[in-house]
Amino acid sequence: MNRRSFLRILSYSLLTGSGLLAKKLAAADEPEKARPIQFVFAQIRYRGGDWNPHPLATTPLMEELMLRTSVEAATGRQEIDLRNPNLFSFPFLYMAGKYDFEPFTKEEIEILRRFLSYGGFLLADDALGQPGYGFDKSFRQEMKKIFPDKEFTRLPSGHAALRSYYLLRRIGGTRMVHPYLEGINLGNTTPVVYCQNDLGGAWERDQLGNWVNPCTPGGDEQRRDAFHLGINLILYAMTENYKEDLIHVPFIRRRLTR
Amino acid sequence: MKDLFFIGTIPWWAILLVALGMAGVLAAQFLSLKQRLSKPRSSILTLLRGLVYALLIFFLLSPGLVERRVTQLRRPLALLLDTSQSMGFPTGADSGQEGSKGRSRLDLVKEKLLSGKEPLIRTLARDYDLRIYQFGASLAPVASDSLPQLAPQGRGTRLFEALGEAARQTGSQGAILIFSDGIANGETKSLEESASFPLPVFPVAVGESQKFTDIRLADLRVPEFAFRGREIKVDFAVEAFGFAGKTIPIYFNRGQNLLSSRNITVDKDAFTQRVTFSTTPKEIGSQSFTLSIPLQPGEQISQNNQQEFKVEVQRDKIRVLTLSGSPSWNYRFLRMALKQDPSIDLVSFVFLRTPTDSVDVPDSQLSLIPFPIDELFLEELKNFDIVIMDDFSYRSYFNTLYLEKVRDFVRDGGGLAMLGGARAFDSGGYSDSPLREVVPVEMNGKGIYQTGNPLRALLTAPGKAHPITRLLPDARANEEAWKKMPLLTTLNQIVRARGETLLTAGPDGASGGSPLLTVGRYGKGRTLALMSNDLWRWNFIAVGGSESPQNHLKLIRQSVRWLAQEPSFEQVQIQPIGSSSAPGEKVELKVRVLKDDFTPAAHATVRLKVVGPEGEPIAVESFPDAEEGDYRAEFTPTKEGSYRLEAAAQLAGKILGKDRKSFRVAFPYGELEDGRPRPELLKKLAEKSHGEFIPISDWNGKTLEQIAAKLNAQSPSEIVESRQIQLWSSLWFFSLILTLLCIEWWLRRKWGLV
Repeated sequence: MNRRSFLRILSYSLLTGSGLLAKKLAAADEPEKARPIQFVFAQIRYRGGDWNPHPLATTPLMEELMLRTSVEAATGRQEIDLRNPNLFSFPFLYMAGKYDFEPFTKEEIEILRRFLSYGGFLLADDALGQPGYGFDKSFRQEMKKIFPDKEFTRLPSGHAALRSYYLLRRIGGTRMVHPYLEGINLGNTTPVVYCQNDLGGAWERDQLGNWVNPCTPGGDEQRRDAFHLGINLILYAMTENYKEDLIHVPFIRRRLTR
Repeated sequence: MKDLFFIGTIPWWAILLVALGMAGVLAAQFLSLKQRLSKPRSSILTLLRGLVYALLIFFLLSPGLVERRVTQLRRPLALLLDTSQSMGFPTGADSGQEGSKGRSRLDLVKEKLLSGKEPLIRTLARDYDLRIYQFGASLAPVASDSLPQLAPQGRGTRLFEALGEAARQTGSQGAILIFSDGIANGETKSLEESASFPLPVFPVAVGESQKFTDIRLADLRVPEFAFRGREIKVDFAVEAFGFAGKTIPIYFNRGQNLLSSRNITVDKDAFTQRVTFSTTPKEIGSQSFTLSIPLQPGEQISQNNQQEFKVEVQRDKIRVLTLSGSPSWNYRFLRMALKQDPSIDLVSFVFLRTPTDSVDVPDSQLSLIPFPIDELFLEELKNFDIVIMDDFSYRSYFNTLYLEKVRDFVRDGGGLAMLGGARAFDSGGYSDSPLREVVPVEMNGKGIYQTGNPLRALLTAPGKAHPITRLLPDARANEEAWKKMPLLTTLNQIVRARGETLLTAGPDGASGGSPLLTVGRYGKGRTLALMSNDLWRWNFIAVGGSESPQNHLKLIRQSVRWLAQEPSFEQVQIQPIGSSSAPGEKVELKVRVLKDDFTPAAHATVRLKVVGPEGEPIAVESFPDAEEGDYRAEFTPTKEGSYRLEAAAQLAGKILGKDRKSFRVAFPYGELEDGRPRPELLKKLAEKSHGEFIPISDWNGKTLEQIAAKLNAQSPSEIVESRQIQLWSSLWFFSLILTLLCIEWWLRRKWGLV
């Protein structure tokens, strides 16, 4: 355990007063070869624009994921470009950015179409938050090339992605560009989810454990919502619409009506 | 009695010419005699000669006499007695007459035939060439002294077939006297189609159709097969005769359990109403249901107040329960494979949180549901076909008591799959659990979960033929497909496989790797162990390599079907048994037997057992058929009912499997279903055969005389003997001519003409 890890565990312990958390985080800090990894947060490296607006966003989210759920995850992220032969080893892809980026090649479009059509999941995160500009403009254009006959639609409040772990009523992020998520549906699933509230910015924390970006206007609650959403989307990717199974419906309905 | 007749060999015109010539000669003779004698004496002599001439002309006509003698004969009479089961029904409903309610229709017939000082049967035997038969489903002769022992046991009434056979045996001079209630469930077309019947039939109608009282369940429409969890409708008719104004309860039971009941009100004497009950079977297998109406006061027939039937409940979907230790890609792609298969009904529990995970919100803001341990393992488990433990350890959630339930579930025929991962096999604590003996691999508590090393799956010899790992029909193509499967990165170590290992895993795919996929049996159930949680890579990584995900999907679906013991995945398969046959008819039975590697088992020991309607076991010998792995047998049922064929096969002492199938044996007619007498049919029969319809209540001492008179009027029963006598060759007639001529000569001499 290095100094940075020690400080992080200590700060969590102090913040929550829970020895359990410390134990969990200590486990997460074990060498990754020594523990089974079920989830790797893979981030797409693309050409042009800024593919990496929040380089420190992954680890806090992964730590939170392991703290709250049974998923064993790699704490670091896997940076990957679309032509990497190992791309399909990472069924969850994260794509973030601020600015316009170079269009995908035909090969990349075909790879991503195949990836998303056969069970992969893509979370897109607009760090700029300017609808119609920058990343938003480029991403929508590329997705149109991948699924020409599909449109982005708002995820309804009862969507399985918003109930896969937390019962979410709000969408977090560093800013509230939209109070909703958008997505592309293929059959019963939504393999592409798009957020324009800069989720990565809300997850990002520096090496001293300080949040890098403020969340406005909701502050810590808004940041917590971003973490909850991140966890929900990962679990949604790993369980599909599991929470729409009949056995869950009455429980969830009862809780939501309380 | 003698009749004159003429043979007439000489033409009539020639005789006429001779007669005219003779008349002329006589006239000339008279005129000649008149000149010599007085007129009276001339006339006498001419008359005498005329008589001679007349006799000669008479002889020219070749006269003869026919002598007839008539002898009266005893007419053949076939007495047909209906001994079908319906003749066991009470003869009438008039309970006011002491004892009449309990007397059967056949009892009444026997009473008519055998009672009294001069029993009818004796009179018939005296007056007729009597042949006595009983009939039901077939016609059989009966000795008159065994009539008291006749019993209503015929399973059907083949009335017209019996009449036809009796007519053939009786001959054209005969007649048929039949005692029956008119219920005929054989062929009836001959009566409708034929204009007449070869012999006169005198039907004596037994049973009171006017005062008939009965309630029966009729025209039952129910599916032979049903799907578990899906409603089935049982539709039938309630027919009531003579119960106007009464309310009748109907009960619908499964076994001893009442499922539903209903009251119906009968609003007229001849009443029919359709009724529908419904039920939703929850368990698979053959289930017995009963519809019943309690016997009503005054009701004549009780046998048709109940209908029993069986429904073969099948699963329309294979119900799979998955328990996943955590969200994972393995679960994601397993779920995708199972959900895409319309024949699989998936209930899954993914443990999103372990007891050591902390949450930062109240439970009300979480979508987590309580894991229904008791409900699932103590109540609902039996309704599943397969349990899949996907990287799941019970230790954090429940004690081994519940695993005992899983063990019992498999022992009783369920399927269990344990998929690898950090929480499975030894890592999940199963080496000390009740499932240790169930899973087809041996664990010692020390097996570790390896990650990070690339492993290639290799088909073993059993794996090449096994239906789980047969991804492509062609053996070589199948092996190629397996060679192309993406590498795995995780493996659970086990001590050794106990069942059949279909796949091994090794760094280079060479033989001798660790067991990767092993299958086995426990009790009546099947088990599967897959020592990796990287199965998803065979789907998604294959897609990334521009391959199809179908191999993964197929592997999952075939595994599920094999675990659920789908018939096509059974090693012992009873082939479809023909539609229902009648008692006495041979039933062909055929069984296909496959070895563990699913190739035909040519030298297997196949034991067949038929379980009869009352549960009696009947061993049936089987023989190898022409097709390798096929075995055949024949079985001849002796009675109606539902039979079950059970087949078990062994090869070199090893049990290959079992199968069972039900089949129904029934006569094509339901003798006991409708006991209403049918006098109208008997009337029609009498009309068409020119006989006479006689209600048994109208039978009296004169009835037999009336029958005899009618028969004699139609065709007397006698023998006529006839003899021809030729007159022209008679000495008497020749003497008469001579006498006449002599008298003439004597008179001529006396009167001086000679």
